[in-house]
Amino acid sequence: MISNEFIAKIEGHGSLKIDWKNNKVKLNIHEGERLFEGILVGRTAEESHWITPRICGVCPIAHNLASLSAIEDAYGIEINETSKLLRKLMMAGQIIQSHVLHLFFLVLPDYIGIDRGTELAQKDPKSFAKVLLLKELGDDIARIVAGRNVHPTRTTVGGFHKIPTKKDLNILLEKLNETKDAAEWTAKFFSKLEYPELNVELELVAHKDGQIVSSNFGATVSIKDYKENIEEELRDYSTAKFGKYQGREMMVGSLARLAIGFKETPSVDGETLGVDKFIDKLNFQNPFHNNLAQAIEILQFYKQARKIIEKLLQMEMDAKIPTSETPSVEERSGKTLGVEYKGIGAVEAPRGGLYHEIHLDSSGIITYANIITPTVQNLTSMEKSSQALLDQTTDKDQKEREKLLNMLIRAYDPCITCSVH
Amino acid sequence: MTKPKIAIYDFTDCEGCEVKLVSLRERLLLIEKKVDIINWRLGQEHFESGPYDITIIEGTPVTEYEIKLLKELRENSKILIALGACAALGGIPGIMPEKDRKVWYEKIYTAQYHPKGIDASPLSAHVSVDFSIHGCPVDEDEVVKAVEELLSGKAPTYCGYSVCFECKVAGNPCRIVESKPCMGPITQGGCKAVCISGGSPCYGCFGIRDQANIPALIKIFEKFADENEIKRYLTMFHNRTPQITEQVKKIDEYKK
Repeated sequence: MISNEFIAKIEGHGSLKIDWKNNKVKLNIHEGERLFEGILVGRTAEESHWITPRICGVCPIAHNLASLSAIEDAYGIEINETSKLLRKLMMAGQIIQSHVLHLFFLVLPDYIGIDRGTELAQKDPKSFAKVLLLKELGDDIARIVAGRNVHPTRTTVGGFHKIPTKKDLNILLEKLNETKDAAEWTAKFFSKLEYPELNVELELVAHKDGQIVSSNFGATVSIKDYKENIEEELRDYSTAKFGKYQGREMMVGSLARLAIGFKETPSVDGETLGVDKFIDKLNFQNPFHNNLAQAIEILQFYKQARKIIEKLLQMEMDAKIPTSETPSVEERSGKTLGVEYKGIGAVEAPRGGLYHEIHLDSSGIITYANIITPTVQNLTSMEKSSQALLDQTTDKDQKEREKLLNMLIRAYDPCITCSVH
Repeated sequence: MTKPKIAIYDFTDCEGCEVKLVSLRERLLLIEKKVDIINWRLGQEHFESGPYDITIIEGTPVTEYEIKLLKELRENSKILIALGACAALGGIPGIMPEKDRKVWYEKIYTAQYHPKGIDASPLSAHVSVDFSIHGCPVDEDEVVKAVEELLSGKAPTYCGYSVCFECKVAGNPCRIVESKPCMGPITQGGCKAVCISGGSPCYGCFGIRDQANIPALIKIFEKFADENEIKRYLTMFHNRTPQITEQVKKIDEYKK
């Protein structure tokens, strides 16, 4: 029973079932179901963004913000400019935290011949010092803006319980100055790694201006229509559902964001952030390049964090929380009987598009919840790419192919705890 | 001196407490020098099947596989530590009652779905636990403190005060004085009142203190909160804590 049957160095419990004779592979998901959509029912609007971060300790801020925007959408609350910027800053911190953890502790060991990520401390102490600086930066942004590095404490419906002081923001700016080299080094370092060759027709899907956009065949649709366009299938070998975009396998996350239009995604005021030279190196038909895309995003979101902080320091920050105006009976009519408010919140989480839909009754109690996580959307393409890898490596021996398959799964940065939730 | 052999496990959960282990950064390196981590799926491929001197488990044993594995780990470990609220208390996954799971499997999946999960309970529902490092998530300093105590051959201990003490030190206004429910008075300290300092409620994720007077706190809540609100506070992390569920039952009986 005490065995190592699950894929190491990924979040959650999955395994590849490989039929070597027939050259077929299936991705089995073993994580226990927590049934979050049921846990939320009966809880209040103010408790949803408290509970949902516990879906995933690697991307809790993403879940926190998705729930908040679902509730705010339901109540028609428009958050102020300060809150918008602070939430963007939180998300930048989140992406840095998550990508640094994934790239250096879970992915990099495969490429440089170590096992545990911390072994880099001995192998290359100078580089490891940079890794720790970046880890600290992501954690500090989350702590100063969201209240804690894992599971936010400061956010609330309509804005923030508490906003950082300008002194806090100056401390963060100082930290950003100290980590500038490390952020640039990361993009450079990962652009020089040699990624395994693989050619898959990937349908890359990401958000752009409130829309869900596909890199090739798929039609662009409004985020509000997420449920009709991202279908979830049951597989008898998985406790997670498998997502498809308009009927086809899809890939979401860093590589997809950069394919769809990096200029819009990370910038403030529509300005590009000077990472083009790295983007040119990306092969959007090789899922292993998702790791290079993550490294590029560390630099992008580093720069974005800096711009947001500079902007916040220049402006008068507004800590006020707008109150919700209860919609009139007329406004509410036309909505499903017995359900008073419905909201959809979506964010680009570290691993891709995340959707929370929440319905509330007239007293603010949750009556329905639906959550679609990025990894659910990636599972179909993870299986498709694994099959492609098997098909394209028939000249290699079994041990090497098995290693490559594990690396491929890691390249997707799956969060299996999220996918089952 | 041989280094203690360590295994780190995650059962069904968010893995946020393991993220906290990595957030120890330099301090994690110092700990690593003093121990031999021979099994940690999230962190490494290297795997040895035991026996272990210390096994640290995060998460709730939800599936049959996890429950069996937990019992086997208990037999193969000198010391078994619960890491975080899911392992120590049942935590957020424990909100879902066992009897309601079937309905939710049907709603979330379909009636045809074959579930793997049985129930989300703390480790202590299945095996004896030597010590719990509390929190959702755990606090870095608490982890280091517990590990240092273990490595020095001492039984780890809890700090001798409730969250209230740390909340006062942090300079927060008292939530109860502001007529808001707060689990702080009955909750074990060590979290530095981080949630209340951020403006959020305290739901007691650090575990119930020894000799806590729970009925008295509920009586205070009743002055300003209705029974549903009180129950939501009590069951956020403690839906599997017998001392708490006993009180929730009383509230339900009183209602009848």
